[in-house]
Amino acid sequence: MDSLYLLIPLSVALVLAILAIFGWALHGGQFEDLESEAERILTDEVGPLDSGQAPEQRQREQSRGSN
Amino acid sequence: MASSAAMAAPAASARQTDGVYTDTAVRLFALAAVLWGVVGMLVGVIIAAQLTWPQLNFGIPWLSYGRLRPLHTNAVIFAFGGSVLFATAYHVVQRTCQTRLFMPGLALFTFWAWQIVIVAAAISLPLGLTQGKEYAELEWPIDLLIAVVWVSYAIVFFGTIGTRKVRHIYVANWFFGAFIIAVALLHIVNSVAIPASLTKSYSAYAGVQDAMIQWWYGHNAVGFFLTAGFLGIMYYYIPKQAGRPVYSYRLSIVHFWALIFTYMWAGPHHLHYTALPDWAQSVGMVFSLVLLAPSWGGMINGIMTLSGAWHKLRDDPILKFLIVSLSFYGMSTFEGPMMSIKTVNALSHYTDWTVGHVHSGALGWVGLISMGALYYLIPRLFGRNTMYSVKAIELHFWIATIGIVLYIAAMWIAGVMQGLMWRAVNPDGTLVYTFVESVKATFPYYVVRLLGGLLYLSGMLIMAWNVVMTVRSGKVAHAPIPVVAVAHA
Amino acid sequence: MTAATAVPPNAPLSVVDDPVEQGRWTRWISGAAGERLGESSLQLSGMYCAACAGIIERAIAGVDGVRSVQVNASAQRATVCWDPQRAQPSALIEAVRGAGYDAVPDAAAPARALRRLEHRRALWRLFVASFCAMQVMMMATPGYVAGPGEMAPDLWQLLAWGSWLLTLPVLVFSAGPFFGGAWRALRQRRIAMEVPVALGIAITFVASSGAAFDPGGLFGDEVYFDSLTMFVSFLLGARYLELLARHRAAEALEGALACLPETAWRVAADGSVTAVGLHRLRPGDLVRVPVGQAFPADGVLEGGSTQADESLLSGESQAVPKADGATLIAGSVNLGAPVLMRVQRVGQDTRFEAIVSMMRSAMSQRPASARLADRWAAPFLWVVLLLAAGGAAVWSVIDPSRAVWVAVAVLIVTCPCALSLAAPAALTAAARGLARRGVMVQRLDAIETLATAQHFFFDKTGTLTEDRLQLGAVQLTPAGHAVFADLATAQARAATLAAWSSHPLSRALAEAPPAAAPSLPQAAWSGIEELAGHGMRALDEHGVEWRLGAASWVDADAAAAGGARVWLGCRGQALASFEFEEALRPGTATALQALRAEGVAITVLTGDTPERARALAARIGVDDVRAGATPEAKLAAVMASQAAGRRVAMVGDGINDAPVLARADVSLAMGQGALVSRSQADAVIASNQLGDLVRARRTAQQALRIVRQNLAWAASYNALCIPLALVGWLPPWAAGLGMAASSLIVVFNALRAAR
Repeated sequence: MDSLYLLIPLSVALVLAILAIFGWALHGGQFEDLESEAERILTDEVGPLDSGQAPEQRQREQSRGSN
Repeated sequence: MASSAAMAAPAASARQTDGVYTDTAVRLFALAAVLWGVVGMLVGVIIAAQLTWPQLNFGIPWLSYGRLRPLHTNAVIFAFGGSVLFATAYHVVQRTCQTRLFMPGLALFTFWAWQIVIVAAAISLPLGLTQGKEYAELEWPIDLLIAVVWVSYAIVFFGTIGTRKVRHIYVANWFFGAFIIAVALLHIVNSVAIPASLTKSYSAYAGVQDAMIQWWYGHNAVGFFLTAGFLGIMYYYIPKQAGRPVYSYRLSIVHFWALIFTYMWAGPHHLHYTALPDWAQSVGMVFSLVLLAPSWGGMINGIMTLSGAWHKLRDDPILKFLIVSLSFYGMSTFEGPMMSIKTVNALSHYTDWTVGHVHSGALGWVGLISMGALYYLIPRLFGRNTMYSVKAIELHFWIATIGIVLYIAAMWIAGVMQGLMWRAVNPDGTLVYTFVESVKATFPYYVVRLLGGLLYLSGMLIMAWNVVMTVRSGKVAHAPIPVVAVAHA
Repeated sequence: MTAATAVPPNAPLSVVDDPVEQGRWTRWISGAAGERLGESSLQLSGMYCAACAGIIERAIAGVDGVRSVQVNASAQRATVCWDPQRAQPSALIEAVRGAGYDAVPDAAAPARALRRLEHRRALWRLFVASFCAMQVMMMATPGYVAGPGEMAPDLWQLLAWGSWLLTLPVLVFSAGPFFGGAWRALRQRRIAMEVPVALGIAITFVASSGAAFDPGGLFGDEVYFDSLTMFVSFLLGARYLELLARHRAAEALEGALACLPETAWRVAADGSVTAVGLHRLRPGDLVRVPVGQAFPADGVLEGGSTQADESLLSGESQAVPKADGATLIAGSVNLGAPVLMRVQRVGQDTRFEAIVSMMRSAMSQRPASARLADRWAAPFLWVVLLLAAGGAAVWSVIDPSRAVWVAVAVLIVTCPCALSLAAPAALTAAARGLARRGVMVQRLDAIETLATAQHFFFDKTGTLTEDRLQLGAVQLTPAGHAVFADLATAQARAATLAAWSSHPLSRALAEAPPAAAPSLPQAAWSGIEELAGHGMRALDEHGVEWRLGAASWVDADAAAAGGARVWLGCRGQALASFEFEEALRPGTATALQALRAEGVAITVLTGDTPERARALAARIGVDDVRAGATPEAKLAAVMASQAAGRRVAMVGDGINDAPVLARADVSLAMGQGALVSRSQADAVIASNQLGDLVRARRTAQQALRIVRQNLAWAASYNALCIPLALVGWLPPWAAGLGMAASSLIVVFNALRAAR
């Protein structure tokens, strides 16, 4: 089962890489205040636009709408 | 295809305006997904017909089943599925990081290069140029191009995350990120080959070693390309369409971490009772069973997002697509581990049950979630809230679902029947049935399967019409990035 | 008596801009350009929806000088990064108020930051251990399922090396706390549970490494990396749950710290009054103390008279009258009238701080309660070592090549997973169950002691009694009989007038259950006046003046009767009198009865007067009452009982109880008690019901029973496996399976403690 000589070291390296990524996420505060993060994608989107609007007008519209 | 006029305009006007998302690649990939969906499913219907009536091979080599089948699998997985993943990943990463794409030019490159890959596949596979490895048939020059596209994809995606304005990385992005990295790794390792000519190469691995690596790739391609990536889609578009947050965000994170590190070892379940050592097969079986838990955790999380708002399912066909896709996901991720048990596999291996399992996942999970996501995405890319015809979405949903049910029911019955017939032994030890007899017995189920596939294709054609009408009646929209009051990062 | 309130709500915000105050909830960091930025934590209130977080973020972001703001919706907290050159914290709070919410500085922020760090580290260790354990388990599975000769030795070794590599992070990093704990215990010449744990981990690793790199050699050819990593994961998992329980209790306590910094109103020489932080007061300052505020320092009353509530400091249940020149104690509450005080002692020198430092020294002398599980650690260790050595000795005669790894197998298989999980699992579950029933446990070990405590000391004021008075006897004078039909009518009339006052006695009168319908609605009184130290007067519907208050106020001729009598009179004649008594907390009598029935000795310790103490004790059927006790006397009483060999529990609430709470073997504070007592006690009775104390004790006893069951199970499991290991019949997969199964059994049994 020679292929395992490739696959096993590969998976060990992968495990260490995954640990590093999890550590980065944990210490970077990625796992805090999860409830508001779940809500954030729902509240941040600007409403659908009338594509005939000019960019500046759209900005004004959007900032009015968010208050 | 959509009007090219709408295509040309976005590139120019996107450069003029600042503070808007760069959705050109998203638009292109989304529309391409619909096109390749129709193409891939059409080829699927053709080969289903050929299996039913082999005369339909017409003796023409480049129309033969053996060459069209990989064209079908590549078209639906990489052309259709791939385009959906590109489109949604580029869309979601921008919206959740509240910033434009990193190197939007590179994103555009990924689109055009990916189309070249698809066209190259469409040409080379019917010509019989193949490496002979499942889902990795494309010859080495195309493999190289895929690697280049994929690295570019990774640069754009992770670059966008790196330049995000929101500190938290939404869970969908973790799934996308894992999918991108895993597929890069799998593709590169599995496709290592020694070229003999421009159109021919030999795998660096041989025999049962090649088989092991091929199915390490094969199963993880399913696991990361067709599952992790689309779970990312699920975790964004279901909350958006339902207007509710994920049922348990904490669970979604646990789901992610549990999934990625269990998947790697399930590969050997494709090689039960082959030359692969017994113990390797057993390991594959054990961990395929372990995979059940995280998969179902994700499914429950997605479905329960509608908890308290089930009534929305009644009126919203897009939600129907998204939620029903999850039930097929649950079904497939239960069926899969069951089939990886050796005794079950002894019956199912090489039969049409395997085909049924693949298609319940492909049509039921991947197909429906893609359609739901595209129905959400496409109108918004063209300045509209909804598709041109909501009734057409509803019609599509029902036609597709009936098609799926017909398809998998036919394959289940056929598969079990084949397995039983093949192993039926006379008292003197001879086989009861010849192989041809089992083929004859399967015929009616092939007809039903063809019908199911035709229905599914019809649904896709309805979608294509709906998309064309939507694009025609909308205008390319430039979505402003919400003014982030303070730097969160 | 009312509990001390920190500051009236309309205290000026400027005090939060005082740099000395900011140190408690602001830390200074460097910005991108090297400039000095403040990072402050604010506790928010009034958030009721998901969108509120965004609104508050935008409100704060609009303040000039704010660099970044992040609102944590679930914790209702805002973290703001601001530039001190351009912004002040008071502006932040004003912005929040302007948006329709409220904010106070979060003084618990440093403690919370520490807890977050601790939590992250624990989670990180746990993740590394469990992730690696899963991978190692995957690599071990081929070895388990392959039949003999099915797997090439090279391949087996490849998997073993892979497992070794992935066990390294677990050994070096995740298992750190166990090695550290074992080292510390050994340095103190003690054998705590960490010692056999650390030994087991180390030996398993060394032996498995030997087998991996030199199969068939000294250490045999079995590797146990999966058992090792799984073992460490389980233990870390248990510790993580313990940590979560502990942090939850601490957070519940810290809710009380969210208030504006304590201010004093300093009167300058020119008569102007400014608000200053408490830390700024100096002896000799003149401060103005409004009604309802605590006296900010020790001092003397200068001009005027008032009453002070000293119950939290002395247990005195009656308001103490203070005249010009009387001593005022920091922390007691001004009840009567706004007065001026000349500060004499501040900070560390006050009576309050003296009690606190007494508490700290009592804490350090507390008798060490050896944890039940630790007591098993030493004998367990010696037995295991003996057996291993014995096994090795025997095998060295029979077949020397197996001697070492038989000894190793014994040590591995007896790895004390279940043993070290036995107590923490049950105690953590018990703590959760107790929390659900209103008792927040701050130190898990206290559960064991609570179960076995024999002598309970109770404080009186605020512990056995509510912190307010209740109406007792009502009497009519001869003149009163002519005016009122009965007592109920008199009470009703007094109550409607009393409702206009916020004096504690008035409130008790107004809140007493109405005996009859009032003959005069509350709103019919007019011309209401309240004179501090005397009483109230008002005109009824006929314009007749009535008075309610001290005897001399109501009727100049009445003998000045002492005590808590309030009189009602009209036109200079006393008509009715009202007595007040302490309100027993509901369920107190039954609770004490239940405790006595379980064989517990009860003593009431109070700083109140002997008459009142005895009166209350009679109501609850307690004989042993020590009255007039100072904090020193209370401490002495507890120490005497401990010296007599009994395990002592203390239940209190006041500041004067803090030293005793520190010294008792197990201590509980009432939820309404002083902050210093609550933070000192082992557990807080958040529900303020003594019935919960009885239930808590029963839960603790149940938990102790479960701990014993778990220990017995763990011991018998080991007893079963050791002979197998000695004979050489225990393969790695069985060891791992047995360890996992026995740990799970212990954990599931422990869950019963939560009921």
